[in-house]
Amino acid sequence: MSRTQPQPCPARPQDLPVKADLARLRVEYVKDSRLAYLGHLDLISTVERSVRRAALPFSIGNGFARRMRIQFSSALPVGASSACEYFDLRLEERLDAGVALEMLRRSTPSALAPLRAAYVPGRLPALEAWLDRASWELRCAGARFSAAELAEAIERVRQSGQITYLRGEREKRVDVCATLVGFEVSDGAEGPVVALETRSSSSGALRPRVLLDAALAASGLCEPGSVRVRRTAQHHDENGRLMEPFGPFCELGPTPLS
Amino acid sequence: MRARRENLFHLIEPLLAHVEHPARYLDHEWGACEEQDGPFHLCMVYADVYEVGQPNLGVAILYNQVNAQEGMSCERCYLPWKDMSELMREKGVPLLSLEGAAPLASFDAIGFTLAHELIATNVLETLDLAGIALTCAERDEDDPIILAGGPSAWNCEPLADVFDAVLLGDGEESIVEVCACIRDARAEGVPRAELLRRLARVSGTYVPSLYEVHVDESSTRWGYATPRAGEDVPEVVRKRCVNDFAATDVVAQRIVPYAGIVQDRLSLEVLRGCARGCRFCQAGMTYRPVRERPAEQVVRGGVEGLLASGHNEISLSSLSTTDHSQCERILAGLNEGLEGRGVRVSIPSQRMDAFGVDMAAAVAGGRRGGLTFAPEAGSQRLRDVINKNVSDEDVERAARNAFEAGWRRMKLYFMMGLPTETDEDVVGIARLAERVLQIGREVVGRGPKSGVTVSISVAVLVPKAFTPLQWVGQLDPDEVRRRQQLLLHEVADRAIRVSYHDADVSLVEGALSKMGRAGFALVRRAWELGCRFDAWTSEFRFDLWREAAEDCGLSLADVACEEFPLAARLPWDHTSPGVDKGYLQREWLRAVRGATTPDCTRESCTGCGVCPALGVRNVIQGVRS
Repeated sequence: MSRTQPQPCPARPQDLPVKADLARLRVEYVKDSRLAYLGHLDLISTVERSVRRAALPFSIGNGFARRMRIQFSSALPVGASSACEYFDLRLEERLDAGVALEMLRRSTPSALAPLRAAYVPGRLPALEAWLDRASWELRCAGARFSAAELAEAIERVRQSGQITYLRGEREKRVDVCATLVGFEVSDGAEGPVVALETRSSSSGALRPRVLLDAALAASGLCEPGSVRVRRTAQHHDENGRLMEPFGPFCELGPTPLS
Repeated sequence: MRARRENLFHLIEPLLAHVEHPARYLDHEWGACEEQDGPFHLCMVYADVYEVGQPNLGVAILYNQVNAQEGMSCERCYLPWKDMSELMREKGVPLLSLEGAAPLASFDAIGFTLAHELIATNVLETLDLAGIALTCAERDEDDPIILAGGPSAWNCEPLADVFDAVLLGDGEESIVEVCACIRDARAEGVPRAELLRRLARVSGTYVPSLYEVHVDESSTRWGYATPRAGEDVPEVVRKRCVNDFAATDVVAQRIVPYAGIVQDRLSLEVLRGCARGCRFCQAGMTYRPVRERPAEQVVRGGVEGLLASGHNEISLSSLSTTDHSQCERILAGLNEGLEGRGVRVSIPSQRMDAFGVDMAAAVAGGRRGGLTFAPEAGSQRLRDVINKNVSDEDVERAARNAFEAGWRRMKLYFMMGLPTETDEDVVGIARLAERVLQIGREVVGRGPKSGVTVSISVAVLVPKAFTPLQWVGQLDPDEVRRRQQLLLHEVADRAIRVSYHDADVSLVEGALSKMGRAGFALVRRAWELGCRFDAWTSEFRFDLWREAAEDCGLSLADVACEEFPLAARLPWDHTSPGVDKGYLQREWLRAVRGATTPDCTRESCTGCGVCPALGVRNVIQGVRS
């Protein structure tokens, strides 16, 4: 058969684009207001549907399920908001990143509003594993303890080295030494505000609320009226130096909080 | 007293961190109608959790219809799961709508969708959580008007004390008329009792409180209803029917949920009604006549609807999609229009006599998951009794087509407890499944790697109102269990998986389907004892239902298994889907003889009476073969 003739089956696996050759668009977006309560799987389907509505030239995987080629940064705990979530989308056509961002904005719920979009190198590691550092803010309202008392309580947990907690009916353990990079507690308008820096790895990640609960329990402090958790930054840790999600990928980021 | 309309989301928000699946309560989905200015406010309620209720097409259709009207707003409400209900009661938070987070008790009207009989206790739970009196008689002058409709409204008598008005048949026109009637009457300061009389004058609207029940020798123990003395209401309330179905919007689902829901896909209603005449099927009798959409409308709507919603799957829904005279054209058009977008086209279940080679290739695009057929009975004799005009040859041909087209998993639906059923018929289910498996192995090959499996799912016949089997008693639950064991015993091959409905659940469903107005006492007592989410296997409490029945002096088995005399006046005779009672009686007598009745969209009129009664006709776009 001549190559110029129409192919009877245009979707043969050997004709489909290879993932690494496709443009990789990185998008930063927020997770705000009531959508903080959206679980990770629901978030994924919501973003995928936004991409489809935007009519971006997204690429479809070659597997049985024909899924969109999209990767997400690590799951937020349900109830936590974020100023800095990311997804990487493989496109079959290298659309102008600004145009793609605008198309996405028009098709995405405002509580998940995209903020930035840019192409990143196609061969970077998967987003979830690559963004291994996170900054968090915990705002405790209606607390009957001071910032200093809370700082002392968190320090006590850090020195204990490990937290054991229940997630559903399963007992989980997290290594605080490995996952808690640093913290600061200050006084906010409604109560103590904790700034946390955490590190995740294949062996686990520290959920801010788990650390707070462990600290309160360890020091016998009462549960505050409410706690708002927000992820404020995500980075890649390159041998102790922080790299921004959008690069530059050859340069080093700011020195981390110790 | 009517509650004040205000946004109370701040009362729900602190509870979200303490409940399962908080996404159920978030609202603000893509496509939700956030502008709810009214001044007339309706809230549509599906009395189950969000992920079960949100896919309901009926709610979506009425939501769009009302919101499209000037001066009318429609919001949604689903029943919170038990963890949230408990917290709401503990904190004194009333049930709220989704869009405006307004108390349900502040709405002008509330519309319940009765999707099935087992939703009854959830209706009471919804009203109680909303702080609204459970019965019409207990409601105050300015309380919301409680409406109902949907497939199970065809015997709504056990909940007749609850509803101020029930909308029978297609709701897209009547819901607007009913809302306008309530709005105008309220504006004029008309007393509630008079408002209900006005509602009864809206065609297709049944106002139970204007009818009284008599029990005499002409009736069953549940009696029959006639207009109260002095009330100028129809003796028989006939359903509403949309004549020009193609003029309605093909894409009803505009809201794109955040949470994973049970049917997470864009659903298009490609046709309404079915004239196959299966004698057990309530929908087949109550949704007549058959009205098809033109293929072009479905294809265009599907492509545009997917772009607007972002779904990656589209479902062509109806009572029998493969009967659409342009079904293959629709499938081809959608597959062509959606090529390369990773979109799957699906059909809920296929008729075995309409599943050809071309259709097998067109369904599901390149994906081959499971395929579902419904032979309903294991022997030809019994399929003739229920008028399931499917032959053994049809079953074999459909199975062969499907296996050859790449499917490996076949699901077959059957029913147990059909009239005249014998052990031989039950054994026939196993034999039919084995034959389908054998065909699969012939086509694909033997061995575990071939992946050929056949699942058979066996439900219990629950005789429903307005079907030719409405006079039949349900099979005794002990006998159901014996026949289930017989079937299990007969299935030897491990590649055939058998599942069956719980006999006790079916018994409660059967009782609720048969009871008249006095049955409300049982529903109320069951709810008081704690029955909720009865359609959930994990939540169904037969012990509580039995206790409730005892408290009411009833036996569930006696109620469900009771046969009604063919000449008796039935508890639902004062409502009508247009199908003539004489036709149903004739069909029952034909069933006993094993005589089949053809489909009037393929052959001549079978005299069901719908067309002359409602002034309608079948609308077929092409030619049905």
